[in-house]
Order: sequence, then C-alpha cells, then structure tokens
Amino acid sequence: MSNTKETINISRRSFVEKSATAAAALTIAPGVILNQVHAKPADEAVTSAKRWGILIDTDKCGKGCNDCVTACHEENGIASHGRPLTDQVWIRKVKLRDKLTQNVVSLPMMCQHCENPPCVDVCPTGASFKREDGIVLVDRHICIGCRYCMMACPYKARSFAHEVVDNQRDYQPRGKGTVESCTMCVHRVDEDGTPACVEACSKAEHGAMIFGDMKDPESNISKALVKHGGTQIRADLGLNTGVRYRGI
Amino acid sequence: MKHLMQKALITIAGTVAIALSSFAVADDKEKASFGPHVPHPTNGSTECVQPEDEMKKNHMKYILHQRDATMHEGIRTKTYSLKECINCHVPENSEVRYGDDKHFCSSCHNYAGVSIDCFQCHTDRPMGKNPHNKSNAQATTPVKAEVADITVGASNE
Repeated sequence: MSNTKETINISRRSFVEKSATAAAALTIAPGVILNQVHAKPADEAVTSAKRWGILIDTDKCGKGCNDCVTACHEENGIASHGRPLTDQVWIRKVKLRDKLTQNVVSLPMMCQHCENPPCVDVCPTGASFKREDGIVLVDRHICIGCRYCMMACPYKARSFAHEVVDNQRDYQPRGKGTVESCTMCVHRVDEDGTPACVEACSKAEHGAMIFGDMKDPESNISKALVKHGGTQIRADLGLNTGVRYRGI
Repeated sequence: MKHLMQKALITIAGTVAIALSSFAVADDKEKASFGPHVPHPTNGSTECVQPEDEMKKNHMKYILHQRDATMHEGIRTKTYSLKECINCHVPENSEVRYGDDKHFCSSCHNYAGVSIDCFQCHTDRPMGKNPHNKSNAQATTPVKAEVADITVGASNE
C-alpha cells in the first residue's frame, strides 16, 4: 500500500503545479469559458480539480416516490433478504415533519461524501478513504468489517454485508463481511456518467437531483448553488458535505 | 562407506520409482497428463496480455497493481483488470462457477491447492449476455425504501 500512497502524492503534487498554471491562464483571459466536458481517459488518475456533488431540492422531491432508492439498489445489485434490520441500504427516503407547522419534507439520504469524513478518520486499516475527486469509498480488499465507520457516520449511511452475496454486477463487487455505502456510482462517474439515483429522478420527471462538479463554475450544480444556495445536513460538524439540500 | 551405501540406495530407489511412474503413464496415457487442464479462451483469442509463462507466474502481480490503481485512483484500463480476465476466459452464458474444475481460474487453483477469495465479492462469470446478468438479478427483490418518520422541533411541545 505504501507504493500506492506514494504515487497518489506524486500526482497530487504535479496537479498543484498544473492547477497553478491553469489559474494563471484564467486570469490572463477572463470571460473565456473552459469547458471540460470530455470523459477522463481511462488511464488517467482522478484529481482534486473536480469535486463531485449532488444538490437535492426537497420541494421537488416526490413524497412517497422511491425511484432513486429502487434505481440505486437495482444498479448496484443490492437485494433484500427479507430482514429489514440487517438488509443493506445505500440510500433511503426520510420524511421530516415539523411539529409546530406540520410542514412535511421528503428527502433521500445517503453517503454525503464529506470533505472531512469521520468514517475515514476512524478506520483502523485505511479501507475507508476519500478519492481525490471527493468520492468517499470503502476498499473492501482492506476492510476487516469492524464497523467503526458505521458508528462514526452521523448520517447512518453505511451498511454491513451480513450474508453471502451472489449475482454481483461486474462493476460493483460486493461481499460478506465488509462495510458498504453509496459510491456516487463511481463506475459511471469515471466514464462521464450520472449516478443512477439522479438519472431515475429526472426520468420520473421530478428533477429534484442535480449531479455535477462543484469546482466547475459552469456546471449545473454550481450555477444552482450560486443562485439558491444549499444546506448541509449537520453543517455544525464542519464536514463540508458533497451532497447538499434545498428547502430544509 | 556408510554414506556411499546410503547414496547408492537412494539412487536405486529413485530409478525404480521413475521407472514405475513411467509405466503408469504409459498404461493410461489418455487419462493422466501431468498438470492441470486449463480451458482456452472461448472468444477466439490466442494470446494473453502477457506471454503465457509470465502470466502463469505473475498474474497476481498484475491484477493486484491494477486493483489499487482502479480503487484509489479511478484508473480503469482494461488490460490487467480482473473483469477482463473473466470476460475472456469464462464463456458467456456459462453456468460454470468458481470452484468447478471447468472454471478457468479453478482449473489451476484446484490442482495447485490455492485458495483465493476474489470471487466472494467479484463475479465469476461475464455479465454480457449471461443468465447471470442484470435481468436475472432483477428477479430478486430489491431493498424497499424505508421511510423514516422524523419529527423536528420537539422543543415546541
């Protein structure tokens, strides 16, 4: 693993140099829009030039609509064993009711892809980690299933695979004895795709979820965040989440 | 003198053993060929990503390196990915699972007594047009959305 760490550090350093040049270029020619819509070449490592995020508009989120949950679990091959207490849940719908005003808010809750993830802090093996582009993942090759991260997560976003898993997707290996959570559909994102939940939401014509690069000022998510702002759930923890909400 | 005697005895015993084993091979030549029977790729390719000898010895080095690169850096080149090993070496629509002698990986691992846990998480068959694909998995019930009912503003009570 020490080798991997080294290569990551090297690429980070070279990235800093590159981004400094890029910033200089931007100030020289203001008004020039640099659109980086092309997919990342398969042999290129992800960099912190991007920070993937999702903005969820709770006003648009359909009350009683489960499409994001179904799509996520279908995409990642998560099947129920008929035991709700121990079934894996990567994304769930939460209904908030204000006792005073009786206002009801419905929202999907999943891994918030924090910039300072508590799950990574507590992991004793380094299995829980954050990619350069802000996606928080579990490396199941290293995970020993201690579940400290599940305890540390303020969003209850992670689940433990209690039972033997079969019928895995070839892009989403999953197995008994390890912790798992939303990967922001990293297999799709690396190929310039959109997470399954976001896709399902727009297919259901709710359009409550916007996915994109929060560091790119021209992306839809950045524009929406500039215009309307976005709330972080438990912002007091200072985690700087990648999933933001509107209307709460 | 004692040593010489011992050496001679060992040599004789060795010769006898070799002679016997060669008889045994000659007897049922069809059944027993030394080494595992490794099935060839069924997609028509004749060359692996590295020469066969290199792959026999070092396939895990390539896969392990690719594993960390993909997991941590999002590098998704196909050449040394386990997914591509499976896509090439395990026929589509096959019902053969890891553990079965006919499975490409098991054919040698079973022979050599190697235990691996790759396929506790990774799929052991190509997802392509296999029955083991998405539409099949759909038959299992996906986890239903649990709606947690949370009341906020308890202080107003």
